[in-house]
Amino acid sequence: MHFNIRTFSLQFSINNKPVEAAKKLFENHATVILFFMLSMISIASFLYFLSNHLGVAYNDARSHLDIARRVVENLKPGFAQLGSVWLPLPHLLATLTVWNDTMWHTGLAGALQSMISYVATGILIYRILQALGVTLYGRLVGVIVFALNLNIIYMQSTAMTELLLLGTMTAGVYELIQWHKEEKMTRLLMSGLWIMLSTMIRYDGWFLLFFATILIIIQTMRKHNYKTTEGVVVIFGTLAGFGIFLWFFWNLIIFKDPLYFILGPYAAGTQQQQLADAGVLATKHNLPFSLQTYIYAIFYNSGVFTTILAFIGVILFWFDKKISKELRYAATALLAPFIFNVLSLYLGQSVLFVQGLHGNSWFNVRYGLMMIPSIAVFVGYLTQRVKPVRYVILALLLFVTFFSYVNRDAVTIDDAVFGASGKNVSQVSSWLNQHVPNKPGFVLISVASHDAIIFSSGLPMSRFIHEGTGLYWNAAIAHPVHWARWIILRTGDANDQTYRLLHNNREFKNDYTLTDHYPFADIYEIKPQYVKDLHIKPSLEL
Amino acid sequence: MNKWLANKKIKILGYVLFTFFCALVLTLSVRGLPGNPDTSQLNRLTWKDNGPLELSPERGRYALTYAIAETHKFSFSPDLARFAAPDVGFLNGQYVSLFAPTVSFIILPGYLLGKAVGFAQVGSFAVIALFALFNVYLIRSISIKLGAHPLAGLIAGLVFLFATPAFAYAVTLYQHHISTFIILSGIYLLISFDSVWALIGIWMLCALSISVDYPNFFMMLPIGIGALGRTIIAKKQQYGYVVKIPVMRVLALLTMIIPLAFFLWFNNASYGSPFQLSGTVDRSVQINPNGSPVLESEQVKARLKSAGQPAVIPQKSALGAFNSRLIMQGFYIYFFSPDRGIIVYTPVMLFGFAGLFLALKQKLKYTWLLVAVIGFNILLYSMWDDPYGGWAFGSRYLIPSYGVLSIFLAYILTRLSKYNLFLLFFFAIYVYSVSVNTLGALTSNRNPPQVEAVALSKVTGHDEPYTYIRNLNILNSNESKSIVFDTYATNYMSAWNYYSYVMVLIIVVSAFLLMTLKSVTKGVKHAL
Repeated sequence: MHFNIRTFSLQFSINNKPVEAAKKLFENHATVILFFMLSMISIASFLYFLSNHLGVAYNDARSHLDIARRVVENLKPGFAQLGSVWLPLPHLLATLTVWNDTMWHTGLAGALQSMISYVATGILIYRILQALGVTLYGRLVGVIVFALNLNIIYMQSTAMTELLLLGTMTAGVYELIQWHKEEKMTRLLMSGLWIMLSTMIRYDGWFLLFFATILIIIQTMRKHNYKTTEGVVVIFGTLAGFGIFLWFFWNLIIFKDPLYFILGPYAAGTQQQQLADAGVLATKHNLPFSLQTYIYAIFYNSGVFTTILAFIGVILFWFDKKISKELRYAATALLAPFIFNVLSLYLGQSVLFVQGLHGNSWFNVRYGLMMIPSIAVFVGYLTQRVKPVRYVILALLLFVTFFSYVNRDAVTIDDAVFGASGKNVSQVSSWLNQHVPNKPGFVLISVASHDAIIFSSGLPMSRFIHEGTGLYWNAAIAHPVHWARWIILRTGDANDQTYRLLHNNREFKNDYTLTDHYPFADIYEIKPQYVKDLHIKPSLEL
Repeated sequence: MNKWLANKKIKILGYVLFTFFCALVLTLSVRGLPGNPDTSQLNRLTWKDNGPLELSPERGRYALTYAIAETHKFSFSPDLARFAAPDVGFLNGQYVSLFAPTVSFIILPGYLLGKAVGFAQVGSFAVIALFALFNVYLIRSISIKLGAHPLAGLIAGLVFLFATPAFAYAVTLYQHHISTFIILSGIYLLISFDSVWALIGIWMLCALSISVDYPNFFMMLPIGIGALGRTIIAKKQQYGYVVKIPVMRVLALLTMIIPLAFFLWFNNASYGSPFQLSGTVDRSVQINPNGSPVLESEQVKARLKSAGQPAVIPQKSALGAFNSRLIMQGFYIYFFSPDRGIIVYTPVMLFGFAGLFLALKQKLKYTWLLVAVIGFNILLYSMWDDPYGGWAFGSRYLIPSYGVLSIFLAYILTRLSKYNLFLLFFFAIYVYSVSVNTLGALTSNRNPPQVEAVALSKVTGHDEPYTYIRNLNILNSNESKSIVFDTYATNYMSAWNYYSYVMVLIIVVSAFLLMTLKSVTKGVKHAL
């Protein structure tokens, strides 16, 4: 460094070598560096949302945690508690830690997998962009778009299944892209493995399996012949479809019907049918409205500006002759969640309410999250294509992100706190927390309707008699006075199984008093003179 | 033709005629009434709703100018506050302006000159028209610097001035043309000069822009970053970078202090603290007959109290008014909505966007700068909780973007003017845009947003138009706010005729320029 008197200026040189070395170091150790940075964001945000009690705001998050907990601690523990309402992988993973009360009640048992998935998805976006030949800058922009999205940050701090699904699906797509590039069988098998895991998380994975299979058929037919195609599809399908096979098998052995998850009383289709009957499933058989609904969900989750950039990126990508046809075809897998969600809405298999389009409510708007990794990839790619304005794009993205943080613009939080996806059960659960621990006896409750209450009460799972407790449930429904000191139900609501089974029960009508009444449930307590007849310890042989 | 146009004298004559033409149209369109109104006159409907000071943004700024000129104070008398309401603040027992102050200072000479000849309000408005004219030449100059044909630059300037809502805001008292002037000047200085003086100009403009309109900070940000790149100069060498930091260029940054000092001084004198922004002052929505304020905060508290909620009003925050959730609505309003959308009010700007994509494809120098200004402008106001700009004509917040897009328009005109079909298509859209915006300029900016119009319809019991149909209705009732029409022309022709003459004048001159452009670019291969 020196001062030039003639030009009256300070002058110094920066050697390129350290900059290049740092760049090289980053490229060589991108996974480790990204892992470290994303982990920091992940942990910090989990702690933030834990501190403001938003971590388990979703009703579904509490149910996921309870399902896992019932596997390890319950009147009738065991894997059968996994049930058929949701696909099992998130709960299976949560069972590893949910036995610990802190892990259960902080939601960390479920959030942990979301957090790991968040980190992994960030790294995978980087890798996908690398596979597409995008420069370091574009790769990092892609990671930033994903990692700083407030909805993603919130959802990775909860015990919801979205991030795990994103992680496995993105991994499946990444390996699929690599297979298109390298044609190595290991890549295909890895893709199959990740897609298989995604099929055990949500039905979005099933569609990805279908979509990936078509891509594999096209690719193999283009390069080889029918026989080879047949072989490749069988190998891929056997592995990738194994999860689906297991699910059918599970339904067969537990519920005696391989299609129980489709036809059972708690199946999504059954619930959607109720909504359709009530005339609120407006997307069913209405393709334009299904499209509009899902596009709005994407806008609210990813931001309009980011989505528009990604859309431009998709167009440029598709017509980019520098990218091989194989890669372009393979990358269409990134659009699979879009097709799946629009189709689900159209076929009435899914429900999604966007404020403004469906009255004043939010519900399941988080489905729009599914496109964020794809959006991140295409925005990253776009910066590669519009080099003159690539810094401007990043600046504008950060500008909008800044305001999303300032105003806490996360639709997933709104859905959980104000929308139909969240239930404020704090009053009824506080009552349980204050009155139940000091008195012996069981609480009779339906988990299908009130899992959130069980979770928020802070009581051990073994204090509850519910549908999954077999003989206890049957006995308590037949003679509540022998088994249930408290009964939680929603009076007059036929959807509440406890109410449906008990409302004509003589014991329930005569031997219980309504202790308290809350928006989501009522509390009935046995009359004092019958307490002596109660079973207060688990005594049935299951 | 080319040779003829290259003649310096012809060129100068051309520019004189062009300037005369623009000035003539602006004079024919500028809104106003003769006289030097005092506060009691200003409070009459003839000056307010039915006159040139029809909306509170004009009144608020004019009130400050009036207070400075007539009472040498920054605070308003109750009568003057009544005129400026509901956009008037109340602080420490005094009525104060709710607007950034510089526009009111800039129009002061116009006010005083106008007052001297009995046209105080018209003189104030004429200053804005003058800035609009400057903007036309800035667009031309920047376009030429970026490789456009000078004629294409002039046409682009015309498009900006007469075929966008900028026209309706060139003949009244708003900040937009001054903001656009500052932004375009900054761009021009940055791309044209590489000197300490240019940097001084840029830094002073950056600082000044905030006191014209606070959000200008974001639109000037890319220009400031560009200027910073001229202050810390990194040159790539074989082995790395040589970084040079000329001390004089660093010191140039200090010149920002001058406009900032003025701003802080005004804040201190008006609000009692140099760091208190006008937007955060409590608003007095009405003035009682005894001169006491009806505070917005008290009204909100009363509403909360009657609803049984705690009467706590969150403190106003400058950043809180921008919400990323609103971008979707903002984009719709700015691009597609019938009450403010570009497609309805100024579809000719779509050629600017096409030029932008062409410039990106051609890797045109400084595209990043122009895109950044447009990007910040559109995104910022899309997040604004009132993207409509209140009652307004078209999307007034996007006027700086229209200015910058016009530069790209000059670029695409240069590139494609050889194609007859393109020119025909462009001209058709241009004629439509001019006809819509001349309508706004000659009538009124009091167009409610669609949401308000619908609510208003329920109150009034009849349909309340919210597009330029509202302006057509004004014209149909033989009204115009143009001072020339109101004072002189109304005796000789109808408002419709007046509108037609002004519009035809613009179209004929534009058509002539376009034909000239076509003939001079015929067979010429531009080095773009």
